[in-house]
Amino acid sequence: MPPITVFAARQIITMDPNRPRATHVAVREGRILAVGGADCADQWGDVVHDDSLKHAVLMPGFVEGHAHMMAGAMWNFAYAGYHDRIDPQGNLHKGMTDIDAVIARLSAQAATLPPGAPLLGWGFDPIFLKSERLNRHHLDRVAGDRPVAIMFSNFHLMCVNSAALSMAGYTRETNAEGVVKGPDGEPTGELQEMAAMFPVMRRVGMDFRGLSQTRAAMRTYADVCRLAGVTTVTDLFSTMEEADLETALSTTGEEDFHLRIVPALGAIGGSPDEIAAKAKRLAARGTDKLRLGAVKLMTDGSIQGWTARVKWPGYVGGQPNGIWNTSPETIFALCEVMQREGIQMHIHVNGDEASDVSLAALEAAARKHPWPEARHVLQHCQMMGADQYRRAAALGACTNIFANHVWYFGDQHVALTIGEDRARRMDAVRTALDEGVRVAIHSDAPVTPLAPLFTAWVAVNRQTMSGRTLGPDQRIGVDEALRLITLGAAYTLKMDSEIGSIEAGKRADFAVLGDDPTQVAPEALKDVPVLGTVFGGRLNLT
Amino acid sequence: MTRLPMTVVSGYLGAGKTTLINRLLTEDHDLRLMVLVNDFGAINIDAELLVSRTEDTIALQNGCVCCTMGADLYMALGDILDRSPRPDHLVVEASGVADPAAIAQAAIAEPDMSYAGIVTLVDGLNAPALLDDPLIGAQVAQQITVADLVLVTKTDGIAPDLAARLDAMKARSPRALDDAPLAPLLFGVTPLPQGPQPAPHPAYAAWRHESDTPVNRAWLGDRLAARPDGLYRLKGFVLTDDGGYEVQVVGAHVEARRAATDRTRLVALGPADRVSRDQIEAWWSA
Repeated sequence: MPPITVFAARQIITMDPNRPRATHVAVREGRILAVGGADCADQWGDVVHDDSLKHAVLMPGFVEGHAHMMAGAMWNFAYAGYHDRIDPQGNLHKGMTDIDAVIARLSAQAATLPPGAPLLGWGFDPIFLKSERLNRHHLDRVAGDRPVAIMFSNFHLMCVNSAALSMAGYTRETNAEGVVKGPDGEPTGELQEMAAMFPVMRRVGMDFRGLSQTRAAMRTYADVCRLAGVTTVTDLFSTMEEADLETALSTTGEEDFHLRIVPALGAIGGSPDEIAAKAKRLAARGTDKLRLGAVKLMTDGSIQGWTARVKWPGYVGGQPNGIWNTSPETIFALCEVMQREGIQMHIHVNGDEASDVSLAALEAAARKHPWPEARHVLQHCQMMGADQYRRAAALGACTNIFANHVWYFGDQHVALTIGEDRARRMDAVRTALDEGVRVAIHSDAPVTPLAPLFTAWVAVNRQTMSGRTLGPDQRIGVDEALRLITLGAAYTLKMDSEIGSIEAGKRADFAVLGDDPTQVAPEALKDVPVLGTVFGGRLNLT
Repeated sequence: MTRLPMTVVSGYLGAGKTTLINRLLTEDHDLRLMVLVNDFGAINIDAELLVSRTEDTIALQNGCVCCTMGADLYMALGDILDRSPRPDHLVVEASGVADPAAIAQAAIAEPDMSYAGIVTLVDGLNAPALLDDPLIGAQVAQQITVADLVLVTKTDGIAPDLAARLDAMKARSPRALDDAPLAPLLFGVTPLPQGPQPAPHPAYAAWRHESDTPVNRAWLGDRLAARPDGLYRLKGFVLTDDGGYEVQVVGAHVEARRAATDRTRLVALGPADRVSRDQIEAWWSA
């Protein structure tokens, strides 16, 4: 008989209503055999007791239902952001709250590089810095003898130094839109949008392809997940080609690769039928650690970029309505074909007009090709009101809500994007639960850090960066939030039969915590230490 | 290496982009075109013209290549620029909702590329309804207003109500797409400065000019600003009293940069139904 290991813990929070709490969990062949006390598995034969987790609190491994693989390999670049962030090795990078701090940190980083090698950075966000805009003179102070390029956190802007400008041939003569010029007529170093950033990125080797499809990128993603207690994670706009699939299969197949990855294929580059066929080909190649077959639809842009499609009364600054990245007509066509072909969809919807159109497309598809178990997932759902959640509930559609936005951008949404009334009810987790929708909450890493306990903390407290509680009536309880980052997210990935709770028959994937999140103050939920994970019954501690 | 000219083909769903691209790939133009498309499966080339067809690339016997854009246009652009030899001309099919100007900017910013225009196709039957659509109308209109050349498809001529709409939007050179070869208009002005120029197709008005007399620098600026609406391409060198300039006009886009030249040599082209050789001559000699 395969060996049985019984792990002792200070406390086990199971998410199983039949046995909400336990002190021991027995594991055999990577799965949970029994849950209860020290003798829980005695009826199954001889057991080996493992006390290495006896001081820890176990929860079901956290499930991040909306993140991107580049959250790991972004750390190949130097961090230049405003917020504290933890790298894949577990080192804390203090946030840089003024430009001098950014310069000092990048200078230190430059000193570690070989002569002439480009210094590439990421995560800078001017929205939080009240001082002058970052420009080439600041970055020339970082390094004059090598190119320096800092990608901003929204990926639409970057700032580069004089050496990088000259590599791209940018001078006062340059007339390209997006190459920002100062009052003196010279490029300031700020480059806006890909067309202007591309000539620099190409020459300094800032390659985004290498951030998600390589073995190194996957291994780093797994490191990031372990630090956050995550055992199942998505990659929600995968561009997987045949060669990428082989890399993904071999990497995730490595014995010590302790993560289940759920890529969703980006629904672009072909007709709906072609995309469906590709998704099915991928699905057939899936393994227990690489779950293939779902697709991701883009619809609108982002609220803080004023590119989300919003309903009346629009943006407070009078900005024009946002843009469709996929036309409503194509959204309808994709929904119909995917529904017909039995392919689950994750649909990006930030603005309430995008969620409205997507719900209408799902309703039309459901009438033509009934599929009650489809579990299509609306992703972000930032402006959905009770009316739209009721429609989602009626469809059996899930909503994965971008809770982290309340902390990171809540104040900006009040002041600059959609205004007080709609900001108070954005990311409405309470409403969604009350309307009977299946809910998860997410980080969209690397947009915000991957850390489900932090995401749960936001949903519980709805505190913004300025300390205000934004929309107190939308707060949820700690128990509810913990469910959303485990079983709730597992449901949206159709994996609730395997993961999301600690009960007999499921996979032995656990988050290993230093404290009991239900016993700390709700305000301290984000500070509960994560010690690592157990993956398929194997210890994977930090 | 020479700069790679890039033309963006734009237009909402169903406007006929794929049909146009099929046509450009097989037209008799002696250019090695590289075409990046969104909807690769829709590209339909006769088997006898093919060298090979894989999941993401079609190679034609005439030297043209058609590739899928994949998930990231800029990755694809980088790969093309790294090719050796580079193709003669790059055509990018924008998605039905993309802003073609955002893509075309890359050709202006990138030193290894040159801007060769935005061609927006307009569905002659559906366009008025689309322009009035509260969800998508603004994006359809934007594709038209940034175009250097607007081609109306699916109708013979342009219906009066659509013509009025396009006029009100200041659409540039709107004309009905006919059977005249497109390569001379879209790609044709490239073989400069020397060499025999093939006789232009009667559908297009062509003009050539050479002179040793320097022109006034300010006059050149005035002339470029006052060029005839129907002039689609103007390319060459101008000798001014302030030194030489390389001049390149594509529709609304004007580029003039200092360059060594000992004389003025210019070539211009436009659709014959929008501009005549005499009009161009009169404009320059004014």
